[in-house]
Amino acid sequence: MINPILKFVACCRAAGYRISTAEVIDCVEQLELVDVLDETEFRAALRANFAKSRRDQEHFDRLYHLFFHELRGDLSEQEGLAQKADQVINSLRDQANGDRSHNAIIEFLSGDPLMFLEMMRQIQTQGDTPSLGMKFNLGPLANRLRVMVGLNKVREEIGRYLQDNPFAFNSAMRQELTRYFHEYLQSAFALLLKEPRPYTDEQRGYKTHEKHLMELGERPFASLSAREIEDVRDVLDNLVRKLKDIISRRYAQNREGVLDVKKTLRRSARYNGVPVEILFRKRPPKKGKIVTLCDISSSVWSAARFMLNVLYSLHECFEKVNSFVFVSGLKEVSEVFDNNEPNHAIEMILKDLEFNYYVPTDYGETFRQFKHDHMDILTKRTTIIIMGDARTNYLHPEDRILGEMRERCRRVIWLNPEPLSSWNSGDSEMYAYKQHCHELRQCRNLNQLIEFIEELML
Amino acid sequence: MTFKNVTDVQEKLQVVGYITSREIATVVFLASATNKPILVEGPAGVGKTELAKAIARAFDCELIRLQCYEGLDEAKALYEWEYAKQLLYTQMVKDKISDVITGAKTLTEAVDRIADQEDAFFSERFIQPRPLLKAISSKDPVVLLIDEVDKSDPEFEAFLLELLSDYQVSIPEIGTIKAVNIPFVVLTSNNYRDMSDALKRRCIHIYIEYPQRELEMRIVTIKIPGISVRLTEQVVDTVRNIRNIDMKKKPCISETIDWARSLLALNVEEITPDVLLETLNMLCKYRSDAQAVKVKAQELVN
Repeated sequence: MINPILKFVACCRAAGYRISTAEVIDCVEQLELVDVLDETEFRAALRANFAKSRRDQEHFDRLYHLFFHELRGDLSEQEGLAQKADQVINSLRDQANGDRSHNAIIEFLSGDPLMFLEMMRQIQTQGDTPSLGMKFNLGPLANRLRVMVGLNKVREEIGRYLQDNPFAFNSAMRQELTRYFHEYLQSAFALLLKEPRPYTDEQRGYKTHEKHLMELGERPFASLSAREIEDVRDVLDNLVRKLKDIISRRYAQNREGVLDVKKTLRRSARYNGVPVEILFRKRPPKKGKIVTLCDISSSVWSAARFMLNVLYSLHECFEKVNSFVFVSGLKEVSEVFDNNEPNHAIEMILKDLEFNYYVPTDYGETFRQFKHDHMDILTKRTTIIIMGDARTNYLHPEDRILGEMRERCRRVIWLNPEPLSSWNSGDSEMYAYKQHCHELRQCRNLNQLIEFIEELML
Repeated sequence: MTFKNVTDVQEKLQVVGYITSREIATVVFLASATNKPILVEGPAGVGKTELAKAIARAFDCELIRLQCYEGLDEAKALYEWEYAKQLLYTQMVKDKISDVITGAKTLTEAVDRIADQEDAFFSERFIQPRPLLKAISSKDPVVLLIDEVDKSDPEFEAFLLELLSDYQVSIPEIGTIKAVNIPFVVLTSNNYRDMSDALKRRCIHIYIEYPQRELEMRIVTIKIPGISVRLTEQVVDTVRNIRNIDMKKKPCISETIDWARSLLALNVEEITPDVLLETLNMLCKYRSDAQAVKVKAQELVN
């Protein structure tokens, strides 16, 4: 009982599983408890101990089938055949020229797939190494071809051996043997052709996915393709979920109120050292308000949409989010966001025909309008986030109004999607606005946006 | 608190209304026979949590549940000292304390005498047990469900390891508390992140899939006794068809049951594309998913 299990474990390890000795011991112990002759139970016990993640299971099932069904399947039934088969294999061994893949195939035929599986795995992992520049998978392909040629060669050798020794076997036995080896070679072929794909594909997909996101993090928003925009949204969704968790916990924890030992002891001094009043930590911190002003001329919009998306996904973490968009004039869009799902709202704003996107951006006019209509929404708990390139098209920047706004609110943060080097060049009035801002940030790719949002929230 | 064999598991779980495949039953049986925790993985809604509840019902013992989340710490999972109670008790027994230190010649002696009494204040009386400590110190056997363990932080996972391998916890002021009865532990995971190899190694793993057609039909029949065979077949087939669509959240068993219930409530005897569209919100939790189903409603029903 133990031997076949150990052999199977060795094969699993050769195929790239990490199976610890403890797990093998557990499994053998457990097999004594179940009905080994019931295959579902037997398989479930092996699977529960050896393939401990979803990703491994499909491949495990295939290995299981190979090991317990395809290999040595009918040997016990026909002793004579087994002997003859061994005879053929031994003669092949004698002829073997020391080539590794050739040896592996012969061992595979003799019912020991270890070397063959190891070889398969090498071919796969080789395929996984990222090559510089152009991506080829010629390496693994060539290796696979080589093994295929090897398999055919072994098939020929077997045929030749059977022909060269006409007296050793009767014709029925010869047919049996041919069929027998054919099945083995077939399953080796199947391993070679089918097996690696789902396995490596998943791994490869996984790896490059992470890498892809890393690259995505550094790409300027303006140059994203439609597909990448979707990816960015996924990343932001994850971020939002994480932040919400953290923040809701912060509030929940504070609401509960932990005993404040220091304060309780200090207060007890009043009552002759008796802690009559037990004091708890403070009530939750008050939530902040956010006012966003977004330049939606085409130069900035690509970055602004993502920021709006995140802010609105997080809106329950703020008391209120007011948002405005502007090109040459200001327009409040809070309502659109309140009533619609963020992505949808963004589309709606873009399609809003009343708004003229094709005029030069006028920051001065925007600020004048804000002062006139909306100054009252700014309180000491408001954070203003302005997203724009500060390119005023040589119109009056009205930076003085921004100063007034600063007086009334808690913080002013300016996000600029342009690279640092081009700030204040040409018509950019970044430095005129700079003196009124608490914080200036570059925000032109995903990483910078994530960094900003995390700092804002935590 | 053990099962006799795999069939026994299936029977006992069925009595309490949980139908398992043979594979799941095998794993449950092995876990109960070897006192090992089970790590259950699978898509949302296939009955991972329900499995633990059913096991508790089958053993007729208490289910202690620990819901994991990011930032869960020992104070919330294991135990916490009740400071307020300690402080109040100190005040109330003040006279006793002065009794203890009367006659002490030096300050050191007085402190020593009080130190001798220290245990009184750090005893189990002042401990507020949280799920894990409760499960370990319980006199009767319990089922401990550690739900969504993948949501917890890696540090907490490391802490769980210690608990799951020895079934004991150490509280510095009191000492080590060993499990009276080894609880039957079920961990569930949604694949939010991969669990560490060390944790996996200590557990028996089971991946619960969407059930086979026959199994799902049996589940529906047992959950909704009054339902006709024909409707059950249609419900299960339609849901299985819907699962083949590429969607954000596929309908799971609990949704199949909810849907079947609502169809019964509406007195529907035959599922038509119209019926599907009208009751779609029982099955699809996202707008985009509902849209995808709407487009294919005709072929899904047949």
